[in-house]
Amino acid sequence: MAAPPQTSLEPVELPELADEDRGALDPDVHFRAIWEQGTFACRLNLDGTFIDGNRASVEGCGFTRGQVLGKPLWECGWWSRSPEVQQRIRDAISRSIEGEPFRGEMRYWMADGSERVMHLACMPIRDESGRVMFLMLNGIDIGEVAESAPPGALLAAIVDSCDDAIISKDLNGIITSWNQGATRLFGYTAEEAVGRSILMLIPETLQDEEPRILAQLRGGKLIDHYETVRVSKDGSSHNVSLTISPVKDASGRVVGASKVARDVTERVRHEQAMREANAALQRANADLEQFAYSASHDLQEPLRMISAYSELLRKKFGGKLGALGDEYIGHAVDGAMRMERLLRDLRVYTNVSTGRHEPAAKIDSSEVLRKTLVNLQVAIQDSGAAITVSELPRVHMLDFQLEQVFQNLVGNAIVYRGDHPPRIHIAAERRDRDWQFSVQDNGIGIEPQYKEQVFGIFKRLHTASEHPGTGMGLAICHRIIERAGGRIWLESEPGRGSTFYFTIPHREP
Amino acid sequence: MIEDNLADAGLVREALEEHGVQGELLVISDGDWAIRFIRALETQPRECPDLVIVDLNLPKRPGREVLEVMRQSEKCRDVSVVVLSSSDAPQDQADAFRLGATKYIRKPLRLDEFLKLGATFREILESARNKRN
Repeated sequence: MAAPPQTSLEPVELPELADEDRGALDPDVHFRAIWEQGTFACRLNLDGTFIDGNRASVEGCGFTRGQVLGKPLWECGWWSRSPEVQQRIRDAISRSIEGEPFRGEMRYWMADGSERVMHLACMPIRDESGRVMFLMLNGIDIGEVAESAPPGALLAAIVDSCDDAIISKDLNGIITSWNQGATRLFGYTAEEAVGRSILMLIPETLQDEEPRILAQLRGGKLIDHYETVRVSKDGSSHNVSLTISPVKDASGRVVGASKVARDVTERVRHEQAMREANAALQRANADLEQFAYSASHDLQEPLRMISAYSELLRKKFGGKLGALGDEYIGHAVDGAMRMERLLRDLRVYTNVSTGRHEPAAKIDSSEVLRKTLVNLQVAIQDSGAAITVSELPRVHMLDFQLEQVFQNLVGNAIVYRGDHPPRIHIAAERRDRDWQFSVQDNGIGIEPQYKEQVFGIFKRLHTASEHPGTGMGLAICHRIIERAGGRIWLESEPGRGSTFYFTIPHREP
Repeated sequence: MIEDNLADAGLVREALEEHGVQGELLVISDGDWAIRFIRALETQPRECPDLVIVDLNLPKRPGREVLEVMRQSEKCRDVSVVVLSSSDAPQDQADAFRLGATKYIRKPLRLDEFLKLGATFREILESARNKRN
């Protein structure tokens, strides 16, 4: 670092005194000497421009007079490097001009760029009438400014204490540095590791990794998060993630490599466990779907027998067994029919997922709704339902599945009506990521505690005599919508009505 | 009728009665016995039945084999065959028609639909009688 600006300690040559003058020294000579030999000093015009400065300020800081004469002080080299300090200088000067001297610490720079601090005074110099003639700036150097970047020792401490293993090697693969993290991971101390070949860390089967890595590094390319296996001192293997960067000399030539190795054994083990759990889950799922499918099929045969013969019984012997006999037969037939409907809905439910998996084309949902309303015609007329529809969009969905959803929601709205004829409104709202459909009714509503349960399989909130149904309808809707990537939910006020919402995501073309 | 499920055999009987079909209904309940029966006809004065109703799912030997044996037998080669099955597999349908079945019917779930089959059986029997005469 540079030394403080030179204050000349050599006495200035005093002119030879004439005999007459020998008795008294000329005061001007004194003042001149004080000025020249003193600490940083300069004179400024009232507009802040540099008139003259002493040796300490100009040559002592490495500047020449030509660089500073006539320039505004803040544009001169001592302060031009920092806009913040420039402003302080300007402020100091304006205050002095107003008659208020400035005193304070100020950073300043030498010509070679080294930064120092001075105690600065800036004061107006007046003539006999009190008018300010010029400004004087005086400075006493008080030291170097400490470097803000950490010195080498600090950097070394950072590397050493880092959790990850940081190892450097030369282009022959010989280890040249080894931090504590490397000791923790591989077991060797720095003394044991430095000077040995990096190959000692590489398992036998992977020894050819090293020449490949070196080849890539010589080409100046870095290796990023390369997952591999390394061996520690005790022989145990570790899954590691390596990031290796080439180290270049001043001319840009690659002279070695710096490697950061992170032990990822835990993570790899975790990922493996996740994969296995996932596979097991998929298998279980497949088994369940298979089971549901077979069950719904195999249960049909015996059901067919019960169903057909109960009806035959009623046909042939109805009336001949008395009222009680008819009642018994009636229950048997009802039971069989309900079972039939349940099985049919269960088949639909399992078919939702075993169905086709190709991405659906865009269909016109208003057309699908129209078909649904035709299917429900009888129920609509019987109940006196009034149905209103707002404009419905084209969406990505299988048409028969959307039809099932509409059929169930609108059908429910008709069935679960209160004392008034049903009024049903179907609408769709375009949102950022999806279309949000709504089916709103004025029916009996659903209690808040059942808002989620209703979408369960076989879930019915009413007895069969109150409102007919198998309880599968909403479960089927739920499955269809979820498979299509959307959500289905409801809002309801018991006694006032319900609104069912479901979303169908937009698909990027 | 070659059918192992007696309940379905009963329903076929109801269906035939419902549509006034008069005659004798013989029920054989496994495939092996059916094949032996058909082969035995060759050496007996008995005629092959006018209508054979077969279920493809049979114990011991499948319905498919019974049909093959029928096609090879002199007496039963041209007899009308109705396959009445609970399967909807396309392969089964293809096999049935390849082996000369006149009709392939899936067993209906509802009683009234099952009983309507009686009309189908009656039609087939009448056209078989007309051909003979």
